Amino acid sequence: MSLVLNVDGPVWRDHLQSFAAAHPGLVPVLKGNGYGFGLGRLARKSTWLGVDTIAVGIHEELGEVANRFDGSLLVLTPWRPFGAALELAPGSPLTRRVIHTVSRLEDVEALLAHDPSARFVLERTTSMLRHGLSARELREAGALLEARGGLASQLQGVALHLPLAQGSHVGEVRRLMTDVIAAGLHTTTIWVSHLSDAELATLAAAYPDYTFRPRAGTGLWLGARGATRVTATVLDTHPVERGDVFGYRGRSAPKAGTILVVSGGTAHGIGLEAPAGDLSLKARAATLARGGLDAVGFVRSPFSIDGKQRLFAEPPHMQASMLFLPAGSRVPAVGDVVDVRVRYTATSFDRTEVS
Amino acid sequence: MTTTTPSAPVTARGPLAVRTITGEEHLAFVRSRRSASFLQTPAWGAVKAEWRRESVGWFAGAELVGAALVLYRQVPKVKRYLAYLPEGPVIDYADGDLEGWLRPLTTHLKGQGAFGIRIGPPVVVARWDAATVKEGVADPEVRRLGQLPPTERSAAGATVVSQLQELGWRKLEAEGGFAAGQPAFNFQVPLRTPEGEPRTEAEVLKGMNQLWRRNIKKADKAGVEVTTSVDDAALEAFHALYVHTAERDHFTPRPLAYFRTMRDALNAEEPDRFTFFLAHHEGDLVAATIAIRVGAHYWYSYGASSTAKRDVRGSNAVQWAMVRAALAAGCDVYDLRGITETLDADDSHVGLIQFKVGTGGEAVEHVGEWDLPVNRLLYKAFDLYMSRR
Repeated sequence: MSLVLNVDGPVWRDHLQSFAAAHPGLVPVLKGNGYGFGLGRLARKSTWLGVDTIAVGIHEELGEVANRFDGSLLVLTPWRPFGAALELAPGSPLTRRVIHTVSRLEDVEALLAHDPSARFVLERTTSMLRHGLSARELREAGALLEARGGLASQLQGVALHLPLAQGSHVGEVRRLMTDVIAAGLHTTTIWVSHLSDAELATLAAAYPDYTFRPRAGTGLWLGARGATRVTATVLDTHPVERGDVFGYRGRSAPKAGTILVVSGGTAHGIGLEAPAGDLSLKARAATLARGGLDAVGFVRSPFSIDGKQRLFAEPPHMQASMLFLPAGSRVPAVGDVVDVRVRYTATSFDRTEVS
Repeated sequence: MTTTTPSAPVTARGPLAVRTITGEEHLAFVRSRRSASFLQTPAWGAVKAEWRRESVGWFAGAELVGAALVLYRQVPKVKRYLAYLPEGPVIDYADGDLEGWLRPLTTHLKGQGAFGIRIGPPVVVARWDAATVKEGVADPEVRRLGQLPPTERSAAGATVVSQLQELGWRKLEAEGGFAAGQPAFNFQVPLRTPEGEPRTEAEVLKGMNQLWRRNIKKADKAGVEVTTSVDDAALEAFHALYVHTAERDHFTPRPLAYFRTMRDALNAEEPDRFTFFLAHHEGDLVAATIAIRVGAHYWYSYGASSTAKRDVRGSNAVQWAMVRAALAAGCDVYDLRGITETLDADDSHVGLIQFKVGTGGEAVEHVGEWDLPVNRLLYKAFDLYMSRR
């Protein structure tokens, strides 16, 4: 009766292990909906993988992973002198495992004032311009820490959050590394994201005295092609003739066919379209075309039957959606499962079944 | 690996002004410094006579606090120039405010018709000791110096690079673009301990590898005699051997007049700025070099050796004589100048590194040469012209 994430366990686990083996120092990223798997499950899988550190997106997520994973917990969203970060009691067992990300000079001082033994990484801004210290600010942070004796046991490294691949990142990382060296920090650990294996190898060769720790989410958890499949269950079928009225809004059928009620609705994130990363003209035209369908009548749904994507008969509901099957198509039986194409990071599944 | 800690920026000084200074003012400033590249002495401008030259100074109020030799290289057919400050300028790179130094320089050079500026800050970013370099040459996996963890990375050097990047300067890469300028990688023998104490001859000799020590001894036993001179006879003897070396090693020799100009110009500035070292064995010249000194910095600049009598080790003898002269002059560093970055055992350049590594010194990476395009259009045209030459 539910929207299910089906995982081919052996394939998935093989992928996780080979990914970890190919990325020494790997830091699995667990955040948001846990890439569809849930934070708790990914925390346990990280324990199974044997990594020493995992990363969560925000301080609020720490609670869900802390008792399923024993190592260090890196928080990717920068620490600010307000919000959930302040709820961590200085010196508590959980707090001692947390590594904060610090992206502003004033926060270096504020964090150390709040918790003098806090562990943290300094984030340097990249071409992404999201969070981070400029080259000069990083040097000032270095001077600030030097004045406190370097805090070598607390400073866990420098974080670089690079944009998704647009050509090679090696040039940018080299420039950023110069800024890191200039800061004279008492650390040689660099936490990086979105670097290809070749780029990581090049950097490791160029900076053999530094350790690059790759953070990975999508590539790790969702990188196994064909290992995951999302299914919904057919809950009801209703044959309709042209002109028959159906649905919440009393729409009428444009032609003969079948109204199919399937599990999965707005509560799961279905019908709420997350923008795809693809920004090509073609992709944008396709988005426009889908909007156009809405104006005329039916909108394409993410549910597919026999490999063909079907139309929504009306906008999805809380936990179910109504699809329209034109006359002549095969009508699945109640209880059958159909495939659903969704973004894993934007969908909450009722169940995850790992074989 | 150690990373040196950056020095705290000194922000006390006010804005700086740049203007033309006389050769005398320039020389007086160079003399006041412990070290400056010989390419930044006013005399070097006379050596590069085919370029327009200018001595410029930085002033904090009335006080001269920095200086540079600027060589102007003209663009064909246009009265615009690339302003080149080889291994310079001579300024305080450690004060954390490079912008404060470079901005008035840019304004001044723009006024002189520069479409682009090229500098080569004499600032070290990393050092590799001889043992590390030796291991790198022996390891087939290691092809470049940069693949080895440096014995020291300099935060001060990285700070200079970081600021140049912030200020829009472009690193001149070794390949492509303009013809390669001064090498970023050099080999140096420190003549003082890390604590600043002068090292003795015995200590420096002990730092050399066995082959070097054996060869120095061998030359001595064979009766090789090293003499120094600046006269015309020495010049001619050096040049003849240098031309012979060029033929053997397949490079184009510079004409005798070049070295005469260099000797005359440099020695007009300081009596021992330029010296020929000649190694003779039973009356035959077996090796000859040029040594240059500015302050406490001593360079081995040009070298030549005979093809015959290699077994008497004239090259080692003449190097050792220069090291001793540098020590006697109270210098801080004996500089064997450029090496290529390669550690590839199959690369023909690796022999040069191996020779230099034997001295027990260190490979030193400088920040390299950087360009600031003042007029982007002309700069680009010039870049294109140079790359097609």
